[in-house]
Parts: sequence; structure tokens; C-alpha cells
Amino acid sequence: MNSLNNTAAINLLKLKYCCFIVWLISSFNSAAQQQSISIQSKLLYAKQVLKLNQWLYNSPHTDSIMLTNVQFYLSKIELLNNGKIVWQEPNSYHLLSADDSNSLRIQLSTPANIPFTSIRFHIGIDSVTNYAGAQGGDLDPTKGMYWTWQNGYINCKLEGKSTQCNTRYNEFTFHIGGYLFPDNALQTVNIPCNNTNTVDLNIDITKWFDGIDLSKQNHVMSPGQEAVLLANKLVTLFSIPQK
Amino acid sequence: MKNKVFIFIGLCLFLFAFTAKEKALFEIPKSWPKPYYNFAKNKLTAEKILLGRVLFYDPILSRNNTVSCANCHSPYNAFTHVDHALSHGIDDRIGTRNSPALMNLAWHPSFMWDGAINHLDMQALAPISSHTEMDENFVKAVNKLQQQSKYKTLFYNAFADSMVTGERTLKALSQFMLTLVCANTKYDKVMRKEDSFTVQENNGYVLFKQHCAACHTEPLFTNLQFENNGLPIDTTLNDLGRMRISKLTKDSCKFKVPTLRNIEFSFPYMHDGRFKRLQEVLNHYTQGIHQTRTLAKPLQKPILLNTNQKVDLIAFLLTLSDKSFLFNPAFAYPKEALNK
Repeated sequence: MNSLNNTAAINLLKLKYCCFIVWLISSFNSAAQQQSISIQSKLLYAKQVLKLNQWLYNSPHTDSIMLTNVQFYLSKIELLNNGKIVWQEPNSYHLLSADDSNSLRIQLSTPANIPFTSIRFHIGIDSVTNYAGAQGGDLDPTKGMYWTWQNGYINCKLEGKSTQCNTRYNEFTFHIGGYLFPDNALQTVNIPCNNTNTVDLNIDITKWFDGIDLSKQNHVMSPGQEAVLLANKLVTLFSIPQK
Repeated sequence: MKNKVFIFIGLCLFLFAFTAKEKALFEIPKSWPKPYYNFAKNKLTAEKILLGRVLFYDPILSRNNTVSCANCHSPYNAFTHVDHALSHGIDDRIGTRNSPALMNLAWHPSFMWDGAINHLDMQALAPISSHTEMDENFVKAVNKLQQQSKYKTLFYNAFADSMVTGERTLKALSQFMLTLVCANTKYDKVMRKEDSFTVQENNGYVLFKQHCAACHTEPLFTNLQFENNGLPIDTTLNDLGRMRISKLTKDSCKFKVPTLRNIEFSFPYMHDGRFKRLQEVLNHYTQGIHQTRTLAKPLQKPILLNTNQKVDLIAFLLTLSDKSFLFNPAFAYPKEALNK
């Protein structure tokens, strides 16, 4: 009886051991099955790579513009396969700044061989996060993307100068944000892309100024209908270059 | 089996020790509602509360290191700015409102007279960067903190890392403010059956429940809503209150209902501090109501109180004073930590 018990115990131990090995292998496997996909953003103005603090010329309009600051949040990144979400980045908040090239490259750590046909993300910060209190990383209020006189993240900052602006130092300032209905400025971009390890993303700032008369509209720094209308333009800035 | 019993006992002891410690830092007074603040996202510790307290009293958060949070929120005045209708900040600049008294903030879903701020953590950003209050850039404030060895130690003790970030600074300030619980007034003692009202106070309490409690709801003595209490607009300020934030005409002239706890010490009254004495406040509610479309429902019929009733009502309001709150050493200027 006793020996029978012993054999049973040994068998159970063996089984446990086997299970452990299987688990170990599978965990190694899943570690190996991680993949890194990067989103490489490129800021453009008039088909050239955007340079801050330089006069830029947009030939069709022959406007001269200088951009001094371009910053925006890209959040809630998702990969979709024929319209179905196949992967979501956890804690997905990225502040992209024209003056920091590192910020323009976002590394996603996804399972390997994940099929996707499009990429979807928000421009800005969703209302739930706007209600969540103090947060760190790219959401830290010291990043300068948070309004202080009332609540809310600034989804996008575009600052610069234009000779069209009859303002102090010819400056224009667009701080676009707002999370409260009906002035929610959050935008969603969904663009088809190839299933590659690097997704190139063009962000054409020229399009921001399409249809804006800078002599009349040059300062938007609070949530409201004007900010929402401008925020709608943001979606048109994003595209994936055809190869 | 014996082992299991030991483990069980150990676990119980651990849990007991844990809950006992938590209890000491923040307690929900008996029969009070659940706090609104999500403590799970900012777990209270003695070290973080201390850091928050030091930050609250340190003028380092202002542009020229002259004004601290406590300037407009002094503990002996129920954490408001006594004796000034409109609070003054840096360089004696005068703002447009009377600073609110700070207490029981864990129960508040929004902050400021107009609810501009939706979370306690983010509240401090507004006065720090306001031109008339502390006039400091928050990034600069955080950099100044990082340069002081005192704060390196305090942040290390609180976060096991001496790095100063915006998030940590704000969360520590929240922690201190969350501990400002006022729940030991004579009124509270009466409710707990440890004390009893005088006849006059009791008459006042009956009148209070009849005429005031709809907005100044027990036990917080505020319904935490925005109401128009019939004040004629001061045309030197033209403050439309909540409408500035919501942009809805239905919110015109609505302000957040303030608590009445420690009202004896939080004068002057109203968002613009227009009334110096409680008598004037009662006269406003009985004779001064300015009828407009957004007037609070309970004020739409006149409130009739004779002189004696007003005296009784004030006697009740004085039972809302909590000296153990005003003079709580745990809320006072942190001499040992700040004068280093």
C-alpha cells in the first residue's frame, strides 16, 4: 500500500515536472515571439522635412511661415486586421515634439507575426485620462501640455510666426484641446498600412494652414467650437507614404 | 495543519496591522458617504503626506519664493484667506474671488468656485501658475524643488527615489489635502450622541433643515453642486461662475456650494467675499434674493425668518466649528521639516 502510494506520488511529481518543462518552453517561445514594430513619424512642410525656427515657403500660397513649436499627443495605438482590432498598446500615450527626434519614433512591442492591415490612434488625450488625476511619463504636467487655469490636456500645440499675423512679433499660437462635450477635440486616425516592422508616418504641417487665414485666425488657446473645428483638420495631416 | 493555522494567524495579524495603519492616515467618519477620491491610485503614506504638507507651506512654489499655498489657505481660518473679500497673492496682486476653505476634499468631485478643476491632483496647478496667485511656471517650480537637498530627501523618503516629477509633486500635495478632514464639531458630537444642542442651537438646527439643507446638505454641509444663490452681479467683476466653464446659459451665476463647516472662521462669505458677517448672509437670504432665471429652486419662495430665528440659526451654525481641526498639529506649519 505504502509503495503504491509512493509510486503515485512519484508519478504526480513527474507530471508536475513535465508540466513545468512545458510551461518553461512555452514561456521561452512566447518571449521569442515578441516583435518590435516601430512607428517612424516624419514632420513635413511643403514636401520638405520640417525645420523649426526657419522661414519656410509654401510655393502655391507663397506664404512665409516660421514654426517654433510643434507638439502633439499620439495615444491609444491599435493595430487592425481588416477592421478588427488585433492588438492594443497598453498605457499608450506618446508626446511627439518636432524638436526631439527621439520622440518621433515609437516602438511597439507586439506578439510576432501579428497580421495587420491598418493602424489606428488618437491625436490627443481621451476624456477618461483627462479625469484621472496626476500622471507621469509623457502625461506629466511638467511636459507643458496641460492647461492650468482649467482642466485638460492640450492635444496639440502649433506655434510660430507669419508675416500675415498682425500680432506681437507676428506670432500665432494654436493650442488645441478640450475633452468635455460638446467641445471634445480628440481625433481618431485610421490609416491602411503594410504589414512591416517599420510604419512610416508622414505628418504634413502644410495642411494645417490650408483654409486658415492667419491674418484673422492666429490665437486659439482654449477649448471650444473653434478648437474642435481646427482639431478636425489634424486628421488630414497624417498619411503613410506610398512606396 | 498546525502550519496552516500559523499562516492563517500570521495573515490575520498582517492584515490587521495594515488596516490599522491605513486607518490612522485617513478615516471615513461614521455614517458619512464614501469619498470620491480614488485612494487606490495614490495610496496614502505618512512620508508622502509630510512631503505634501511641506510643499503646501513652502513659498518655493511661487515665482519669487514669497507666497505659499498657506498664504490664502491658512489653517487657523479653516484653510481660507481671512479678512479679504478678494484674496491677494504674489506682489499683493488681487484676484477675482475669495479663496475657498479647504476641508473634506476627498468627497469633492470638482474644485474651484466654478468647478474648473476635475481632480484634486490637478488643483494645485491652477494657483501655482495663476498670474495673481503664485505666478510660477510649474516646470520651474519642479526644477527648484529638485535643486534643494531637503526635497531630495523628502522625495526619496516618499517615493524611494529622489527624482522630483510633476506627478509626484501633485500627488503629495493631494495626500496632505486629503487628510484635512473636519468631522469633530459640536454638531458631529451631537450626531454621535456624545453631546447635546442647547435649546437655541436645536431651534437653529430645525430652521437649518427647513431652509438651508437642500444646498448645504449634511454631513458635508454642501451638496457639491453649482447653484445660483440670488446674489446680484457685482459689475466690477462680472463673474458668471460655472457658465465660464460649461458655456451653458443655464449655469449663469452658479457657484459651487461651499461647506458651512468652520463658517465661524472662514469669513468673509460668498465667492467674492461680499459679506463680512453671518448676519449679513442671513439678511441676504431673507431680503436680498435677486430673482433670475437660474436662481436655485429652494430660494424661489421667500425665506421668512424673524430676528430671534436668525439668532437661533447662527447659534446652530456656530456648532459647525471644529477647533480640533483648526489647531490640529498634523496640519500646521511643518517647522522641523521646512526650516532645514
